[in-house]
Amino acid sequence: MRSRSSRETLDTRILVCGDDLLSVSLDDIRACQELADRLRDSGDWLESVAGIDSVMVQFDSATIDIDLATKRLDEELRQAPDAPDTEPELAEVPICYGGEFGPDLGDICEQLDLTRDEFVALHVGREYRVDMLGFTPGFAYVGGLDDALNVPRRKQPRVRVEAGSVGIADGRSGIYALAGPGGWPLIGRTPLKLFDASEADPFRLHAGMRIRFQPVDRDEFDTIVETIAQS
Amino acid sequence: MTLTVIKPGLQTTIQAGPRVGMRHLGVPASGAADALSLALGNRLVGNKLLAPAMEATMAGVSVRFDSDTSFALTGAQASADLNGRELAFHTTLAARAGDELHVGLARTGARVYIAVAGGFVVDEILGSASTYLPAALGGHEGRALREGDRIAVGQSSGMPTEHETPAEFRPPVSRTWALRACRASEFALLDDNGKDRLFDTNYTIGQRADRMGMQLEGASFNVSSQGRMASAPVFPGTIQCPEDGRLFILSADAQTTGGYPRVAQVARADRHMLGQLRPGDHVRLLWRDTRSATDELRAKHDYWREWLPDIAQVV
Repeated sequence: MRSRSSRETLDTRILVCGDDLLSVSLDDIRACQELADRLRDSGDWLESVAGIDSVMVQFDSATIDIDLATKRLDEELRQAPDAPDTEPELAEVPICYGGEFGPDLGDICEQLDLTRDEFVALHVGREYRVDMLGFTPGFAYVGGLDDALNVPRRKQPRVRVEAGSVGIADGRSGIYALAGPGGWPLIGRTPLKLFDASEADPFRLHAGMRIRFQPVDRDEFDTIVETIAQS
Repeated sequence: MTLTVIKPGLQTTIQAGPRVGMRHLGVPASGAADALSLALGNRLVGNKLLAPAMEATMAGVSVRFDSDTSFALTGAQASADLNGRELAFHTTLAARAGDELHVGLARTGARVYIAVAGGFVVDEILGSASTYLPAALGGHEGRALREGDRIAVGQSSGMPTEHETPAEFRPPVSRTWALRACRASEFALLDDNGKDRLFDTNYTIGQRADRMGMQLEGASFNVSSQGRMASAPVFPGTIQCPEDGRLFILSADAQTTGGYPRVAQVARADRHMLGQLRPGDHVRLLWRDTRSATDELRAKHDYWREWLPDIAQVV
């Protein structure tokens, strides 16, 4: 049994989330990535997953007591962070905005009191970073959105969102690599293929990568799709 | 050796063990939604417990054996016959080349498992043979089976001496379920009334129910996240509370991160039951602290080890 005194010495950022799940709350996405990578490399955890402001680890509760797992996490949390990596790769991501590809763009513009062109100018006007892959294979959370473009998620998620769809929510863009359910308001779609299981490295985007969006019209979108299909 | 699909049913896929250690890349676990039933089927035909088998959702499936094969049926309750001759579940069965197996619609439970001696032979992708439909990953061409599909069957490595699952090792399949669960990260975001009702409500599984997850109807909850919670990791068994207040239980194909408050987490010991929940089923969540949940998991392993020595790989 863990005594009350030992509980109080543990890092308060650690949260028990289930009988085999522990979470650590952190302020910063880069710190989350660094800690999640470090915990994964330690080999102590079945899964180590970074969120935007938290990291969750799963352990084998059949053989490891939660007190031991918590203590281990606490120790690993106290170690110094690894040094940051080198300048990340820049990926150009074309987007066809609005229309059938971005069914929520009209509502978003109304909500933010922007014209469509103003919205697109704000969205393509800066460089972003992929904060993490998650949700489903290759889904990219792209951080760094202009404060003027902050909208909440949809209250009721869509049952099906097409692959390549781009949404915005909570200060980020999100790119759906695959078709599936999703709750982000949609602004457009990229013709890029972001997940390809037949490739040795099936993921087109990676956490930490730099991103620039480019507006394309429907004809350009179709041309890019054809080019990818032929290669 | 092959098996041919005559009638694929609502959604039949090849499922084996989960994908492990890749959630940080957005790769979900997938694998049999009811891993215990998969293991029980494989046990009866001498396979490794998590060898690839067919998972038939709500059943209504017909297949033809193209050579002499041993097979077994586990999971949901359904009628089944071989060339019109009625079959029992939880028994090692023999098929001759050309025999046709029909599995009727599930009466209770959601998924029937068809295990064959030698297991189905499909490509392993990202560490597992399991089908993950949203990414068209794994299994047979990454998709649900269709009429005319021929699935290769592996070489049997020898048959077990027991040919029936003992009665005490046949999991009950019911329209009423009790799932043990712990509080999760955002439990505190529920209002006081919600905290009281979370573990004291008779829920009903909604129409939206699949391998990714299921809606829990019967109560609405208020969470104070204003739709702006930062995306955070989720796992099979995580119970989310979106802004519309209706709980959603994530299952085997659970996405890796989600933006809705995580109010509870189904205990590891009971996650295999999620694969048998179907629309209209009644569910209660039984609160457990993490220590009790762990003790109960280990007790469950001790119980099952007699019939399934590798139970800890399954549940």
